Amino acid sequence: MEFAGLVNYALFMAIFICIYALLALGLNIQWGFAGLFNAGIAGFFAVGAYTSAIISTAPADGRIGGFDLHFVIGWIGAMLAAGLVAWPIGKICLRFRSDYLAIATIGIAEIIRLVIKSEPVLTNGARGISGIPRPAGDMGYMESQIAYLIIVLAVLIVAYVLVERQFNAPWGRMMRAIRDDEDAARAMGKNVEFRRLEAFIFGAALMGLGGAMFAHFNRSITPEAIDPMVATFLIWIMLILGGSGNNRGAILGAAVVWIIWSVSEIATDRLPHEYAVQAKYLRLFLIGLMLQLVLRFRPEGLLPEPLRGDQRSTKSGADRH
Amino acid sequence: MSALLSMENLTGGYGEADILQDVSLTVAQDEIVVIVGPNGAGKSTAMKSVFGLLTIRGGKMLFDEDDITGWVPNRIVQRGICYVPQVDNIFREMSIHENLEMGGFLKTGDLSAAYDRVYTLFPDLKERRKTMAGSLSGGQRQMVAMGRALMLDPKLLLLDEPTAGLSPKYMEQIFQICRDVRDTGVAILLVEQHAKQALAFADRGYVLAAGKNRHEGTGADLLADREVAEMFLGG
Amino acid sequence: MDLFELVNFYVVPGIVLGSIYALGAVGITLIFAILRYAHLAHGDLATLGAFIALAAVTGMGVSPYVALPIAVLGTAAVAVGIDKVFYEHLRERPKIVTVMASLGIALMIRAVVQVVWGVDTQTYSRGIVRPEDYFGIRIRDREIYTLLAMVVLVGVLQLFLTRSKWGKAMRAMSDNPNLALLSGIDNKKVVMLTWVIAGGLCAASGFFLGINTELKAMMGWHMLLPMFAAAILGGVGRVEGAVLGGLIVGIAEELSVLVIPSEYKAAMAFAILLFMLLVRPTGLLKGKVL
Repeated sequence: MEFAGLVNYALFMAIFICIYALLALGLNIQWGFAGLFNAGIAGFFAVGAYTSAIISTAPADGRIGGFDLHFVIGWIGAMLAAGLVAWPIGKICLRFRSDYLAIATIGIAEIIRLVIKSEPVLTNGARGISGIPRPAGDMGYMESQIAYLIIVLAVLIVAYVLVERQFNAPWGRMMRAIRDDEDAARAMGKNVEFRRLEAFIFGAALMGLGGAMFAHFNRSITPEAIDPMVATFLIWIMLILGGSGNNRGAILGAAVVWIIWSVSEIATDRLPHEYAVQAKYLRLFLIGLMLQLVLRFRPEGLLPEPLRGDQRSTKSGADRH
Repeated sequence: MSALLSMENLTGGYGEADILQDVSLTVAQDEIVVIVGPNGAGKSTAMKSVFGLLTIRGGKMLFDEDDITGWVPNRIVQRGICYVPQVDNIFREMSIHENLEMGGFLKTGDLSAAYDRVYTLFPDLKERRKTMAGSLSGGQRQMVAMGRALMLDPKLLLLDEPTAGLSPKYMEQIFQICRDVRDTGVAILLVEQHAKQALAFADRGYVLAAGKNRHEGTGADLLADREVAEMFLGG
Repeated sequence: MDLFELVNFYVVPGIVLGSIYALGAVGITLIFAILRYAHLAHGDLATLGAFIALAAVTGMGVSPYVALPIAVLGTAAVAVGIDKVFYEHLRERPKIVTVMASLGIALMIRAVVQVVWGVDTQTYSRGIVRPEDYFGIRIRDREIYTLLAMVVLVGVLQLFLTRSKWGKAMRAMSDNPNLALLSGIDNKKVVMLTWVIAGGLCAASGFFLGINTELKAMMGWHMLLPMFAAAILGGVGRVEGAVLGGLIVGIAEELSVLVIPSEYKAAMAFAILLFMLLVRPTGLLKGKVL
């Protein structure tokens, strides 16, 4: 590969890492800080992607929209829509242990997949929505990639700063108190369900934003664009490996896992065709195995959750439930 | 009279804090011994220490000529000590008979002698043996819990506040059952919140405060002790 | 539409599908109640069972019904193995960690199926089976076997749980784990037994889905939601509830196409699940809520 090709590939990877890092940050709000198990990340991602696509594409026949609005409105719309989908699910499931949320989020992701496939009026069916404007997309190829990277990086940094600030604020302290000892938090008069719902919706909104950024980067979104289970799982392993409860860990995990994932794809693509399909599934097996190994041998991840002042006394007991 | 159980200068607790400090007590065969004391005195902890449920950092425990310090609960059960927790001490969704069967889980061979023994002690239970334990009243549940613990023919029965939440009538009944159990040759060590009533009925008592031995003696002596009386009138 | 049409095209398939869900839901409910976590790899374990049976059919040339017990034993062994290798070490950690591990196991099992058996749909036997006519109600033999097998397997399981010492030990562990341990019940054996039963039933579930439709790598994953809906609808920990729930979910899915577009058939289970969590999380037969 020549130099320009390498740079291009690096840019491409960097953009994807930023998008996945945003998704991992969203999951970190839900899991790392509130202990909520979302197994339907791909669903919120898809809601965001399609919402922003509908808002920002040019008007088209046979489907709602597009409304030809600025991409920023599309991205805000994506966050709102994903949060809106999360709301009833959270409302119903967050009263119970997180096992129920896991099942319900698998369900909502499945329903969203069905809707995308069967409602051409919304999503243009199997053909998907194309012609999604990419911000700074009218520049030259390389310049456009660089510009988009700057945009997603800026969004990621803003999201990181905001989330990090929230975690160190009283809100974050309360979330950790709820996660580590729900009964005690309840006894102190905290509204556990409401706080969890907040975390669940904020996390989902970030996932929706990630979906929108993905769609605008690809300039199109189709039902086949992502494999729901693989996408959801990749984001989980990013967060767990990186270090749940640690925002920098989430971002690091996104980078490490995405690089491993992409490089292994290049490797398997070079195999003869008859092995290529099997190799693809072998990669899935290995990523599943990686989660098992991390859970067993390094559950705190690469960058463990920092012990904040309020936690030092309780942290040792947190894992005993 | 040689001691069946003797706890010697025991120090320990859950995790890192020592709840018990230098606690000693003995239980002889055919004896009902009660531990009383104000809230947070370490009464239940002292009892759980017998059953191997906490970290012991000093002292030792002898049972029937064996040093059982640091044994796991399973082994202690097999050695002849059975424990009835204060709450959640029955299988709610199983019948009375099944509760007893689970109590005798470790016993190989025929359980019929054990059932007979328990049903003789608790005739009420025999009539209702097919009833779900969860549908019983508080007093009856306590009987099921004790019955379950007696299935393995223990030499020592540990009861954690068996009369908590029961009416005075049931309290009297539980105490009477304890005497009956003792008369079949099983020693009993129990923790009681109702100090006066418990001291009046037990053979001997220990008063614990702040994780340490404070007083010991026969029930009557302790009741007559002014300091003990003040302790309970005050708290 | 007359009554026969309703029965032939909706109720009979609904009962068959319901029986398949029930077999899986029983395992889910036992694991939920005894081990106390939601096992997300349950559907994919069923897929594995279906494909083990396929391997026996194609490799040894036996009939599918001979392959069934082989699949049951094989999958039970795999389930025990997965527990020993992956879940056992997480027992002292918060239960949700095991839920997460099971999501990874789901992916791993599916990957194994895809690598070993490929991604094309397969069947146990070729050709079209015509239904027999029973007084106007048309039923295929395999549909009768499905219902029958479910009733027999669950019946035997119920006898085991209510009559045998180890069956009662399983119930005791579900009822009050601390007291079960105080009574000297061997937790490890109960856990192993639970996996043997759940794994075996999983294989039966996947097998009957395979024999009534076809085999594909995603077949089990798509059953996961209906199976959980069935377990929660019946009441967590209730074997008979899981059967009842399975049948209701199966019939509801088939009947749903009368009122909603057939693409959304799979949404019925989700609707039932959310509805139960909203109005009666203990389920129809008053199960546990974790």
